[in-house]
Amino acid sequence: MDLAVINVLAQAASEGVGADAGKAIALGVGGGLGAVGAGIGIGQIFAAVIEATTRQPEMRDEITSIQWLGFALTEACFFYGLVAGLIAFFL
Amino acid sequence: MTTKKKALLGVGLYFALIVGFVIVFGTGAKNDTFQPQNEFKLETLFSIGGLDVNKAHLYILAAGILMVVTMLFVARRMQQRPNKVQTLVESAFTLMRDNITRGNMDDQMAARWFPFVASMFLFIWFSNMLGYIPLPTNVEHKIDIFGVQVPSFALYAATANLSVPLVLAFVVFAAYNTVGVVKKGPIGYLKSFIPAGVPGPMKPFIFVLEFMSNFMRLLSLSIRLFANILAGHLIILFMGGALAVLLGVAAVGAVTFPLAVALFMFEVGLVATLQAFIFATLTAIYLGGAASEAH
Repeated sequence: MDLAVINVLAQAASEGVGADAGKAIALGVGGGLGAVGAGIGIGQIFAAVIEATTRQPEMRDEITSIQWLGFALTEACFFYGLVAGLIAFFL
Repeated sequence: MTTKKKALLGVGLYFALIVGFVIVFGTGAKNDTFQPQNEFKLETLFSIGGLDVNKAHLYILAAGILMVVTMLFVARRMQQRPNKVQTLVESAFTLMRDNITRGNMDDQMAARWFPFVASMFLFIWFSNMLGYIPLPTNVEHKIDIFGVQVPSFALYAATANLSVPLVLAFVVFAAYNTVGVVKKGPIGYLKSFIPAGVPGPMKPFIFVLEFMSNFMRLLSLSIRLFANILAGHLIILFMGGALAVLLGVAAVGAVTFPLAVALFMFEVGLVATLQAFIFATLTAIYLGGAASEAH
Protein backbone atom coordinates (compact mmCIF):
# COMPACT_ATOMS: atom_id res chain seq x y z
CA MET A 1 0.00 0.00 0.00
CA ASP A 2 1.19 3.45 -0.86
CA LEU A 3 2.17 5.49 2.20
CA ALA A 4 0.49 8.55 0.71
CA VAL A 5 -2.86 6.91 1.48
CA ILE A 6 -2.23 7.54 5.16
CA ASN A 7 -1.85 11.26 4.49
CA VAL A 8 -5.07 11.30 2.49
CA LEU A 9 -6.91 9.46 5.26
CA ALA A 10 -5.49 11.77 7.91
CA GLN A 11 -6.69 14.82 6.00
CA ALA A 12 -10.09 13.31 5.35
CA ALA A 13 -10.69 12.79 9.05
CA SER A 14 -12.26 15.98 10.32
CA GLU A 15 -11.71 17.63 13.67
CA GLY A 16 -13.15 15.79 16.68
CA VAL A 17 -13.53 12.39 15.06
CA GLY A 18 -10.68 11.00 17.14
CA ALA A 19 -12.33 12.19 20.33
CA ASP A 20 -15.65 10.59 19.30
CA ALA A 21 -13.91 7.32 18.56
CA GLY A 22 -12.17 7.43 21.93
CA LYS A 23 -15.50 7.97 23.70
CA ALA A 24 -17.10 5.06 21.86
CA ILE A 25 -14.15 2.83 22.72
CA ALA A 26 -14.39 3.89 26.37
CA LEU A 27 -18.07 2.93 26.51
CA GLY A 28 -17.42 -0.36 24.72
CA VAL A 29 -14.52 -1.37 26.93
CA GLY A 30 -16.19 -0.18 30.14
CA GLY A 31 -19.45 -1.95 29.40
CA GLY A 32 -18.20 -4.97 27.49
CA LEU A 33 -15.14 -6.06 29.43
CA GLY A 34 -16.89 -5.24 32.70
CA ALA A 35 -19.72 -7.56 31.72
CA VAL A 36 -17.24 -10.36 30.95
CA GLY A 37 -15.69 -10.27 34.41
CA ALA A 38 -18.96 -9.89 36.29
CA GLY A 39 -20.56 -12.64 34.20
CA ILE A 40 -17.82 -15.11 35.10
CA GLY A 41 -18.09 -14.12 38.76
CA ILE A 42 -21.87 -14.48 38.92
CA GLY A 43 -21.67 -17.82 37.16
CA GLN A 44 -19.18 -19.07 39.72
CA ILE A 45 -21.37 -17.89 42.60
CA PHE A 46 -24.44 -19.73 41.31
CA ALA A 47 -22.40 -22.82 40.50
CA ALA A 48 -21.13 -22.87 44.08
CA VAL A 49 -24.66 -22.35 45.41
CA ILE A 50 -26.04 -25.26 43.41
CA GLU A 51 -23.20 -27.49 44.56
CA ALA A 52 -23.58 -26.46 48.20
CA THR A 53 -27.36 -26.94 48.29
CA THR A 54 -27.19 -30.35 46.64
CA ARG A 55 -24.59 -31.45 49.17
CA GLN A 56 -26.37 -30.00 52.19
CA PRO A 57 -30.03 -29.20 51.44
CA GLU A 58 -30.68 -28.34 55.09
CA MET A 59 -28.33 -25.32 54.81
CA ARG A 60 -30.45 -23.81 52.04
CA ASP A 61 -31.80 -20.79 53.96
CA GLU A 62 -28.39 -19.67 55.12
CA ILE A 63 -26.88 -20.15 51.69
CA THR A 64 -29.64 -18.16 50.00
CA SER A 65 -28.91 -14.97 51.91
CA ILE A 66 -25.15 -15.27 51.32
CA GLN A 67 -25.85 -16.03 47.66
CA TRP A 68 -27.70 -12.75 47.10
CA LEU A 69 -25.00 -10.84 48.95
CA GLY A 70 -22.34 -12.30 46.69
CA PHE A 71 -24.47 -11.77 43.60
CA ALA A 72 -25.01 -8.09 44.32
CA LEU A 73 -21.38 -7.44 45.26
CA THR A 74 -20.19 -9.06 42.02
CA GLU A 75 -22.80 -7.42 39.87
CA ALA A 76 -21.81 -4.02 41.20
CA CYS A 77 -18.32 -4.43 39.68
CA PHE A 78 -19.90 -4.48 36.23
CA PHE A 79 -21.68 -1.23 36.97
CA TYR A 80 -18.46 0.48 38.06
CA GLY A 81 -17.08 -0.11 34.56
CA LEU A 82 -20.34 0.77 32.86
CA VAL A 83 -20.72 4.06 34.73
CA ALA A 84 -17.13 5.02 33.95
CA GLY A 85 -17.84 4.31 30.28
CA LEU A 86 -21.08 6.30 30.34
CA ILE A 87 -19.34 9.24 32.01
CA ALA A 88 -16.67 9.18 29.29
CA PHE A 89 -19.30 8.93 26.56
CA PHE A 90 -21.82 11.54 27.64
CA LEU A 91 -19.99 14.07 29.81
CA MET B 1 -54.59 -25.59 18.00
CA THR B 2 -51.64 -26.96 19.92
CA THR B 3 -49.39 -24.89 22.14
CA LYS B 4 -46.51 -25.28 19.71
CA LYS B 5 -48.54 -23.87 16.84
CA LYS B 6 -49.68 -20.94 18.96
CA ALA B 7 -46.09 -20.14 19.92
CA LEU B 8 -44.96 -20.35 16.30
CA LEU B 9 -47.85 -18.12 15.22
CA GLY B 10 -46.89 -15.58 17.90
CA VAL B 11 -43.25 -15.51 16.81
CA GLY B 12 -44.33 -15.24 13.16
CA LEU B 13 -46.64 -12.31 13.91
CA TYR B 14 -43.85 -10.62 15.87
CA PHE B 15 -41.43 -10.89 12.92
CA ALA B 16 -44.17 -9.70 10.57
CA LEU B 17 -44.61 -6.67 12.83
CA ILE B 18 -40.88 -5.88 12.65
CA VAL B 19 -40.85 -6.27 8.84
CA GLY B 20 -44.01 -4.16 8.64
CA PHE B 21 -42.33 -1.42 10.69
CA VAL B 22 -39.33 -1.44 8.35
CA ILE B 23 -41.57 -1.21 5.26
CA VAL B 24 -43.98 1.43 6.60
CA PHE B 25 -41.61 3.75 8.45
CA GLY B 26 -38.33 2.98 6.67
CA THR B 27 -35.07 4.25 8.10
CA GLY B 28 -35.00 7.90 9.09
CA ALA B 29 -32.01 10.12 9.60
CA LYS B 30 -29.83 9.91 12.69
CA ASN B 31 -31.25 12.09 15.45
CA ASP B 32 -28.81 14.56 17.00
CA THR B 33 -31.19 16.79 18.94
CA PHE B 34 -32.34 14.18 21.47
CA GLN B 35 -29.98 14.07 24.45
CA PRO B 36 -30.57 10.96 26.62
CA GLN B 37 -28.59 12.39 29.52
CA ASN B 38 -31.17 15.18 29.91
CA GLU B 39 -33.49 12.60 31.49
CA PHE B 40 -31.29 12.81 34.58
CA LYS B 41 -30.76 16.57 34.50
CA LEU B 42 -31.92 18.36 37.64
CA GLU B 43 -33.72 21.56 36.77
CA THR B 44 -34.95 23.98 39.40
CA LEU B 45 -38.71 23.67 39.65
CA PHE B 46 -39.35 26.45 42.20
CA SER B 47 -37.50 28.06 45.07
CA ILE B 48 -38.45 28.63 48.69
CA GLY B 49 -36.54 31.46 50.34
CA GLY B 50 -33.33 31.04 48.35
CA LEU B 51 -33.47 27.24 48.35
CA ASP B 52 -33.79 25.88 44.84
CA VAL B 53 -35.98 22.78 44.80
CA ASN B 54 -35.60 20.22 42.03
CA LYS B 55 -37.19 16.86 41.38
CA ALA B 56 -34.57 14.89 43.34
CA HIS B 57 -35.53 16.80 46.51
CA LEU B 58 -39.18 16.01 45.91
CA TYR B 59 -38.38 12.33 45.37
CA ILE B 60 -36.41 12.12 48.64
CA LEU B 61 -39.23 13.87 50.49
CA ALA B 62 -41.84 11.62 48.90
CA ALA B 63 -39.87 8.45 49.75
CA GLY B 64 -39.43 9.56 53.37
CA ILE B 65 -43.06 10.54 53.87
CA LEU B 66 -44.34 7.41 52.11
CA MET B 67 -42.11 5.18 54.24
CA VAL B 68 -43.15 6.75 57.55
CA VAL B 69 -46.85 6.90 56.69
CA THR B 70 -47.04 3.33 55.35
CA MET B 71 -45.17 1.82 58.25
CA LEU B 72 -47.12 3.77 60.88
CA PHE B 73 -50.39 2.86 59.14
CA VAL B 74 -49.53 -0.84 59.16
CA ALA B 75 -48.19 -0.73 62.72
CA ARG B 76 -51.35 0.95 64.05
CA ARG B 77 -53.65 -1.62 62.50
CA MET B 78 -51.99 -4.82 63.65
CA GLN B 79 -54.50 -7.68 63.78
CA GLN B 80 -54.55 -11.19 65.16
CA ARG B 81 -55.35 -12.61 61.77
CA PRO B 82 -53.04 -10.70 59.45
CA ASN B 83 -54.07 -9.66 55.96
CA LYS B 84 -51.69 -9.72 53.00
CA VAL B 85 -50.06 -6.34 53.62
CA GLN B 86 -49.42 -7.11 57.27
CA THR B 87 -47.91 -10.48 56.38
CA LEU B 88 -45.61 -8.78 53.89
CA VAL B 89 -44.48 -6.14 56.37
CA GLU B 90 -44.00 -8.76 59.08
CA SER B 91 -41.81 -10.89 56.85
CA ALA B 92 -39.79 -7.78 55.93
CA PHE B 93 -39.46 -7.07 59.65
CA THR B 94 -38.21 -10.61 60.29
CA LEU B 95 -35.73 -10.28 57.42
CA MET B 96 -34.40 -6.99 58.77
CA ARG B 97 -34.22 -8.09 62.39
CA ASP B 98 -33.05 -11.68 62.20
CA ASN B 99 -31.13 -11.95 58.94
CA ILE B 100 -29.62 -8.52 58.55
CA THR B 101 -29.12 -7.16 62.07
CA ARG B 102 -28.81 -10.16 64.40
CA GLY B 103 -26.86 -12.21 61.88
CA ASN B 104 -23.99 -9.72 61.93
CA MET B 105 -23.70 -8.42 65.51
CA ASP B 106 -24.33 -9.59 69.06
CA ASP B 107 -27.84 -9.36 70.53
CA GLN B 108 -27.33 -6.36 72.80
CA MET B 109 -25.87 -4.30 69.98
CA ALA B 110 -28.53 -5.57 67.56
CA ALA B 111 -31.29 -4.26 69.83
CA ARG B 112 -29.68 -0.81 69.79
CA TRP B 113 -28.85 -0.63 66.07
CA PHE B 114 -31.88 -2.39 64.59
CA PRO B 115 -33.89 0.86 64.06
CA PHE B 116 -30.96 2.44 62.21
CA VAL B 117 -30.38 -0.51 59.89
CA ALA B 118 -34.09 -1.03 59.31
CA SER B 119 -34.74 2.59 58.41
CA MET B 120 -31.79 2.50 55.99
CA PHE B 121 -33.33 -0.56 54.35
CA LEU B 122 -36.82 0.86 54.16
CA PHE B 123 -35.77 4.30 52.94
CA ILE B 124 -33.64 2.88 50.13
CA TRP B 125 -36.34 0.36 49.24
CA PHE B 126 -39.04 3.03 49.06
CA SER B 127 -36.95 5.43 47.02
CA ASN B 128 -35.90 2.65 44.62
CA MET B 129 -39.48 1.51 44.16
CA LEU B 130 -40.73 5.06 43.72
CA GLY B 131 -38.26 5.32 40.86
CA TYR B 132 -40.15 2.73 38.83
CA ILE B 133 -43.50 4.50 38.96
CA PRO B 134 -43.92 6.95 36.07
CA LEU B 135 -44.56 10.38 37.56
CA PRO B 136 -45.04 13.74 35.82
CA THR B 137 -41.52 15.08 36.38
CA ASN B 138 -40.14 15.86 32.93
CA VAL B 139 -40.59 19.64 32.68
CA GLU B 140 -38.66 19.82 29.42
CA HIS B 141 -41.55 18.36 27.41
CA LYS B 142 -45.11 19.21 28.39
CA ILE B 143 -48.19 17.39 27.24
CA ASP B 144 -51.69 18.75 26.91
CA ILE B 145 -54.38 16.99 28.97
CA PHE B 146 -57.77 18.71 28.50
CA GLY B 147 -56.11 22.10 28.13
CA VAL B 148 -53.84 21.76 31.17
CA GLN B 149 -50.10 21.74 30.55
CA VAL B 150 -48.76 18.74 32.48
CA PRO B 151 -45.08 17.73 32.51
CA SER B 152 -44.68 14.46 30.64
CA PHE B 153 -44.38 11.25 32.62
CA ALA B 154 -40.87 10.03 33.32
CA LEU B 155 -38.95 7.61 35.51
CA TYR B 156 -36.51 9.08 37.99
CA ALA B 157 -35.17 7.86 41.31
CA ALA B 158 -33.49 9.85 44.04
CA THR B 159 -30.95 7.04 44.42
CA ALA B 160 -29.99 7.42 40.73
CA ASN B 161 -28.20 10.60 41.77
CA LEU B 162 -24.79 10.03 43.36
CA SER B 163 -25.25 12.57 46.16
CA VAL B 164 -28.10 10.70 47.88
CA PRO B 165 -26.30 7.33 48.32
CA LEU B 166 -23.13 9.26 49.21
CA VAL B 167 -24.88 11.00 52.10
CA LEU B 168 -26.30 7.67 53.31
CA ALA B 169 -22.81 6.16 53.08
CA PHE B 170 -21.38 9.09 55.09
CA VAL B 171 -23.94 8.47 57.82
CA VAL B 172 -22.99 4.78 57.93
CA PHE B 173 -19.27 5.64 57.89
CA ALA B 174 -19.63 8.06 60.80
CA ALA B 175 -21.79 5.57 62.72
CA TYR B 176 -19.49 2.55 62.55
CA ASN B 177 -16.30 4.53 63.18
CA THR B 178 -17.92 6.11 66.22
CA VAL B 179 -18.96 2.68 67.47
CA GLY B 180 -15.42 1.42 67.07
CA VAL B 181 -13.83 4.41 68.83
CA VAL B 182 -16.32 4.30 71.72
CA LYS B 183 -15.91 0.56 72.17
CA LYS B 184 -12.11 0.30 71.95
CA GLY B 185 -10.80 3.84 72.40
CA PRO B 186 -9.05 5.77 69.58
CA ILE B 187 -5.73 3.89 69.83
CA GLY B 188 -7.34 0.51 70.27
CA TYR B 189 -9.60 1.10 67.28
CA LEU B 190 -6.63 2.00 65.08
CA LYS B 191 -4.76 -1.06 66.34
CA SER B 192 -7.72 -3.28 65.50
CA PHE B 193 -7.25 -2.50 61.81
CA ILE B 194 -4.33 -4.95 61.79
CA PRO B 195 -5.65 -8.52 61.60
CA ALA B 196 -4.35 -11.04 64.12
CA GLY B 197 -1.36 -13.13 63.06
CA VAL B 198 0.41 -10.55 60.90
CA PRO B 199 4.20 -10.70 61.43
CA GLY B 200 5.90 -7.61 62.92
CA PRO B 201 7.61 -6.00 59.91
CA MET B 202 4.49 -6.31 57.79
CA LYS B 203 2.31 -4.45 60.29
CA PRO B 204 2.77 -0.84 59.06
CA PHE B 205 2.14 -1.88 55.47
CA ILE B 206 -1.01 -3.83 56.34
CA PHE B 207 -2.19 -0.93 58.53
CA VAL B 208 -1.93 1.59 55.68
CA LEU B 209 -3.74 -0.81 53.36
CA GLU B 210 -6.57 -1.46 55.81
CA PHE B 211 -6.84 2.23 56.66
CA MET B 212 -7.24 3.05 52.97
CA SER B 213 -9.79 0.29 52.50
CA ASN B 214 -11.78 1.83 55.33
CA PHE B 215 -12.25 4.92 53.16
CA MET B 216 -12.85 2.86 50.05
CA ARG B 217 -15.95 1.48 51.77
CA LEU B 218 -17.44 4.96 51.48
CA LEU B 219 -16.93 4.88 47.71
CA SER B 220 -18.03 1.30 47.12
CA LEU B 221 -21.13 1.64 49.30
CA SER B 222 -22.37 4.73 47.47
CA ILE B 223 -21.31 3.89 43.92
CA ARG B 224 -22.82 0.38 44.11
CA LEU B 225 -26.30 1.69 44.86
CA PHE B 226 -26.08 4.69 42.54
CA ALA B 227 -24.68 2.76 39.58
CA ASN B 228 -27.18 -0.09 39.87
CA ILE B 229 -30.17 2.21 39.86
CA LEU B 230 -28.76 4.57 37.23
CA ALA B 231 -27.82 1.72 34.89
CA GLY B 232 -31.24 0.13 35.35
CA HIS B 233 -33.00 3.36 34.46
CA LEU B 234 -30.69 3.97 31.49
CA ILE B 235 -31.26 0.47 30.09
CA ILE B 236 -35.03 0.82 30.47
CA LEU B 237 -34.80 4.23 28.76
CA PHE B 238 -32.72 2.95 25.85
CA MET B 239 -34.72 -0.23 25.33
CA GLY B 240 -38.07 1.49 25.78
CA GLY B 241 -37.60 3.83 22.84
CA ALA B 242 -34.54 6.06 23.14
CA LEU B 243 -32.49 3.75 20.91
CA ALA B 244 -35.13 3.89 18.18
CA VAL B 245 -35.32 7.69 18.48
CA LEU B 246 -31.53 8.12 18.43
CA LEU B 247 -31.00 5.90 15.41
CA GLY B 248 -34.19 7.04 13.69
CA VAL B 249 -35.24 3.46 12.88
CA ALA B 250 -38.74 2.56 14.06
CA ALA B 251 -38.17 -1.20 13.65
CA VAL B 252 -35.50 -1.09 16.39
CA GLY B 253 -38.25 -0.04 18.78
CA ALA B 254 -40.31 -3.11 17.92
CA VAL B 255 -37.30 -5.30 18.70
CA THR B 256 -36.24 -3.62 21.94
CA PHE B 257 -39.61 -2.89 23.55
CA PRO B 258 -40.28 -6.49 24.80
CA LEU B 259 -36.76 -6.38 26.25
CA ALA B 260 -37.68 -3.16 28.03
CA VAL B 261 -40.69 -4.83 29.66
CA ALA B 262 -38.56 -7.82 30.74
CA LEU B 263 -35.82 -5.57 32.15
CA PHE B 264 -38.40 -3.43 33.94
CA MET B 265 -39.76 -6.53 35.69
CA PHE B 266 -36.21 -7.64 36.54
CA GLU B 267 -35.40 -4.24 38.04
CA VAL B 268 -38.61 -4.00 40.05
CA GLY B 269 -38.62 -7.61 41.18
CA LEU B 270 -34.97 -8.11 42.02
CA VAL B 271 -32.61 -5.16 41.81
CA ALA B 272 -34.60 -2.60 43.82
CA THR B 273 -35.04 -4.92 46.80
CA LEU B 274 -31.61 -6.51 46.46
CA GLN B 275 -29.79 -3.18 46.55
CA ALA B 276 -31.67 -2.09 49.67
CA PHE B 277 -30.85 -5.47 51.24
CA ILE B 278 -27.15 -5.19 50.32
CA PHE B 279 -26.85 -1.67 51.69
CA ALA B 280 -28.48 -2.64 54.99
CA THR B 281 -26.47 -5.88 55.27
CA LEU B 282 -23.16 -4.11 54.66
CA THR B 283 -24.14 -1.45 57.20
CA ALA B 284 -24.77 -4.19 59.76
CA ILE B 285 -21.51 -5.99 58.84
CA TYR B 286 -19.46 -2.79 59.22
CA LEU B 287 -21.13 -1.95 62.54
CA GLY B 288 -20.59 -5.47 63.84
CA GLY B 289 -17.00 -5.54 62.58
CA ALA B 290 -16.11 -2.23 64.21
CA ALA B 291 -17.33 -3.49 67.60
CA SER B 292 -15.93 -7.02 67.51
CA GLU B 293 -12.44 -7.88 68.73
CA ALA B 294 -11.00 -9.42 65.56
CA HIS B 295 -11.49 -6.95 62.76
